[in-house]
Amino acid sequence: MVIIETKNVYKTYTRGFLKKHRVNALKDVSLSINRGELFGILGPNGAGKTTFMNILIGLIIPDSGEIIIDGNKIENKYNIELKRKMNMCSGNPNLPWSLSVIEILRFYSMLYNINKKQIENKIEKIMNELELEKYAYTRFDELSTGNKQKLSLAKSLINDPEILLLDEPTLGLDPHIAAKTREFIKKIQKENGITVLLTTHYMQEAEELCDRLAFIKDGRIIGSGTKKEMKKKTKTKNMEEMFIELANQQN
Amino acid sequence: MNWLISRIKAFTYRNYIFAIRNFFAMTEIFFWPVIGIISIGLMSGFLNLSGHYINFLLAGAIISGVLQVAQLDVAYGFLYDVWSKSLKQTYIAPVKNYDFIIGSWIVGVARGIIAFIILVFIAGWIFKFKLPGAVYMLPAMAGIYLSAMIIGMIVILSILLFGQRIDIIAWMISVLMMLVCGIYYPVTYLPGSIVAVAKMLPLTYFLEYFRLGYGFELSFSNPLLKGFILSFIYIILLYFGIEIAYDRARRTGMIVKLSE
Repeated sequence: MVIIETKNVYKTYTRGFLKKHRVNALKDVSLSINRGELFGILGPNGAGKTTFMNILIGLIIPDSGEIIIDGNKIENKYNIELKRKMNMCSGNPNLPWSLSVIEILRFYSMLYNINKKQIENKIEKIMNELELEKYAYTRFDELSTGNKQKLSLAKSLINDPEILLLDEPTLGLDPHIAAKTREFIKKIQKENGITVLLTTHYMQEAEELCDRLAFIKDGRIIGSGTKKEMKKKTKTKNMEEMFIELANQQN
Repeated sequence: MNWLISRIKAFTYRNYIFAIRNFFAMTEIFFWPVIGIISIGLMSGFLNLSGHYINFLLAGAIISGVLQVAQLDVAYGFLYDVWSKSLKQTYIAPVKNYDFIIGSWIVGVARGIIAFIILVFIAGWIFKFKLPGAVYMLPAMAGIYLSAMIIGMIVILSILLFGQRIDIIAWMISVLMMLVCGIYYPVTYLPGSIVAVAKMLPLTYFLEYFRLGYGFELSFSNPLLKGFILSFIYIILLYFGIEIAYDRARRTGMIVKLSE
């Protein structure tokens, strides 16, 4: 059953003050993501992955196209009831710098109206799972990059989202922490049966985690399907070759 | 309703932590307003002003301190996110713009009350300042807190429209407004064109009403009614302005840009 559907989504940014120029961030993006799957969007930097995620979570309004999430058509005014079922974790996260880990999690819990009695238990559980307990009273700006990333992931799980958007969740992490983060993503997706939409430019990450994939280049989806289907279609053996082949086909 | 209260409480909680942890925010309550009171009090003494005139000027200095503290909190509710580059994270959550305006305004009112008590105490102790009766003081102060909300909302609107480079106006607008609204003088002392502007600002009427408690004559009739009506009109208009600017910021990518 489809939970996220986008049809012919376009987004253009206008940049510059005196000399304006237009940047086409997304061109004709149509995708269907099924409930409970881990879907990956793979592409180089600047391909439009983050713009796509930001559109889905309501931070950016597309120029045109249709977006339906969990049966709700996304209009200019975003449905906050729908936002309650979603959350997003970004690579290189920024959170309120002078708040400690526990205060940040408390703040976001309150935004999602989590029961006062449940808040502390929930925070404790999430910090435990992500090994953040000993940093509970450490301010965000004093955390290492890895711990900031973990906190961003913890924040994105605070409302038990049905749809979790992970935008480059392992960006800038050392290989050991990145591997642990991937393990954790796999675990929560499996245990909770949530829909995860993940963007990455690490081919190996996509191969390891995702049920289905879409390749994006210059704002356009150049291929999508299961890994098996894509390998068969492109007659390639790995993600890297697959991407090159699809890019060549597009050119 | 529960959810709305929880969201508002979240912003109150966050602003409260910022306020108690930020040394700069503490100086806003204690240092600058107290310096203002002492300077004005000494100047009044040097000029040999009589009791009512000293009260007039010191009331201006107290209100100036309270307004600045309270309005900054509303602006900070938004600016902290801009400075932390976490605006995106806040808007990912199911929040409405009024959640953080009201949530941070509550902290602004609390900090404003603390600043008011401290300033009245110092002004009374050193310069024999007396408050007007509660019937003048309470409605006027309520109006001044509404003016603080209006100034904070103007700051939020400006940042959504023009980006972070405009954050300096958080400190400029209130000072300009106080100048036009006659913080240390009756507005009628100002040139005619400025009086016309002052008449459109609710703060003018609340200052007038506060000073009525010292026996000064009113420059305008029904100052409280005019002040509150204007305040509610501005709050509604600014809220719609913020909503429009927010949608525009989502269209232009400004929300994301403010978080990078």
